[in-house]
Amino acid sequence: MIRQSWWKILAVVILVYTILAGMLIPLKPGIAEVTPRALQAGTEVELTVTGYNSYYAKAKNDLRAWLKLKGDLVLKAARIEVLNDRTMKLHFILPQYLPSDSKDDACSLILDSPIDGAIVLPEGIALTQDSVNLLEGKKLWSVDKMDQLNAGPKLTFPYRSVLYESIRNQYFHVPLWFAMIFLFMFSVNFSVRYLRKYDPDADQRTLALNRAGFVFGLLGTVTGAIWAKYTWGAFWSWDVKQNMTAVALLIYSAYFILRGAFQDEEKKARLSAVYNIFAFAALIPLLFVIPRMTDSLHPGNGGNPAFGGEDLDNTMRMVFYPAGIGWTLLGFWVASVAYRVEKLQQRLLDA
Amino acid sequence: MNFFAQIGILLRKELVLELRMGYAISGILLYVLSTVFIVYAAFFQGVNSPMLWVTLFWIIMLFASVNAIVKSFVQENGARQLYYYGLLDPLAVIVSKMIYNISLLFFLSLLTWAAMAFIVGNKVEEFSAFLLALFLGSAGFSILFTFVAAISSKADNNSTLLAILSFPLVIPILMTLIKLSVVATGMLEDTGIGKDIGILVAIDLVLAGLTLVLYPFLWRD
Repeated sequence: MIRQSWWKILAVVILVYTILAGMLIPLKPGIAEVTPRALQAGTEVELTVTGYNSYYAKAKNDLRAWLKLKGDLVLKAARIEVLNDRTMKLHFILPQYLPSDSKDDACSLILDSPIDGAIVLPEGIALTQDSVNLLEGKKLWSVDKMDQLNAGPKLTFPYRSVLYESIRNQYFHVPLWFAMIFLFMFSVNFSVRYLRKYDPDADQRTLALNRAGFVFGLLGTVTGAIWAKYTWGAFWSWDVKQNMTAVALLIYSAYFILRGAFQDEEKKARLSAVYNIFAFAALIPLLFVIPRMTDSLHPGNGGNPAFGGEDLDNTMRMVFYPAGIGWTLLGFWVASVAYRVEKLQQRLLDA
Repeated sequence: MNFFAQIGILLRKELVLELRMGYAISGILLYVLSTVFIVYAAFFQGVNSPMLWVTLFWIIMLFASVNAIVKSFVQENGARQLYYYGLLDPLAVIVSKMIYNISLLFFLSLLTWAAMAFIVGNKVEEFSAFLLALFLGSAGFSILFTFVAAISSKADNNSTLLAILSFPLVIPILMTLIKLSVVATGMLEDTGIGKDIGILVAIDLVLAGLTLVLYPFLWRD
């Protein structure tokens, strides 16, 4: 397997595809900003909308916009004034009453264009009224209907607030971790094989896999830290998964130091194999169990929603899953090169 | 001689040896006392928050445990260990060392608690929860450190190696222990305390199981 080249070519093809697709596919059009955010019932208001990746000017005559309350209650924009592709002004004539039994309510803004598709700004705008009249409000807000929404461009990544363009890091950060876990799993497998047969070759494979896994772990941490800087505000936020990462990297650093502590090859191989198995088994609860039981900023942990739904749409899956395979294959390629280097050094020492 | 009888004999041997070479155990006791005193002196404004108290307690315990356990494979020379392995089941040797170290560390943690209470002040309100944390912590520390000490005793500078190899592995135990202990000080109302205990028990069991599986590959030289 190591000498065959088809899987290395596959790794290159997949990675070139994921990097190109991951970097070039645009984000879905979104609403970057709306001002003002607080509206008073019974007034005529002008909302300035700033779009992201949007083409308002191109779809000038077919643009529609609504304010939407719960249920089917909507209010259509009376007039739309497009300034350029990224900005437009919406004019709404707000009725005297809201279909609400309190003085405050919140509504979403929905835009529809044949080019950008339907875009929702959920619960982003506050509404207030001076007096409550539920029935009258319902009547006033039922006049307009929202129908025949356009589907947006097909090939896009989700536009998510906080994440924005950094959503592309999903194709690097997460697959690097997959690759690391697989490399460490195989290294444990070879440690077990060493302890069964005392075959020096299995020890060299373990070492090579751990070296490659360690590098991938470092890269996963760095890509994660950069991502964290732009989304959570700091490179390191003492998130439980970040701590566990640091622990994992320390454990494997300790593995390399342990190897350095012995002169005798057999002793070195045997003791490091024992430690490798011990450390990996101690790592599993670290990486998979503890983050799920404590609070974490990562998706899927501590009550945060897992990646999926609107965060991972089908276009992203088309890039994300191949990326996982591609980086894992690259990891094994790196490990196989490290293994051959180790072999050659051994041969030089023996000669 | 069956396995359990061997463990009994080895435990008695450990105890006799410990008491006969009194300096080792008294050295550890003095270590704990002086560390607690240093903590008291260093925090001259007093250790007021329970969080700080708990953290300091477990850090003192961590270093005291390392110092107490590092000697478990060092104080007897290689030839005598070979003699044990020839005479007895190697698993009985490691199991007896683990049991002995669990009791030693539990005793040590009670002593550290007493010293902290006497010098710094007691912050623990729920005694049973804290005792449970002490026991689970002693068990986790001693299983981990005993096994890693068995690895590092094969190398030359083994006390450094013990710290390097075991500290990363001890972090999850330590973090869970601190969380559990903070709950025991009454600072936090945690309904998920059972989950933490579950994690600790699980980690302890995994480490103990691994030790039993892997030790047969470790002892022979």
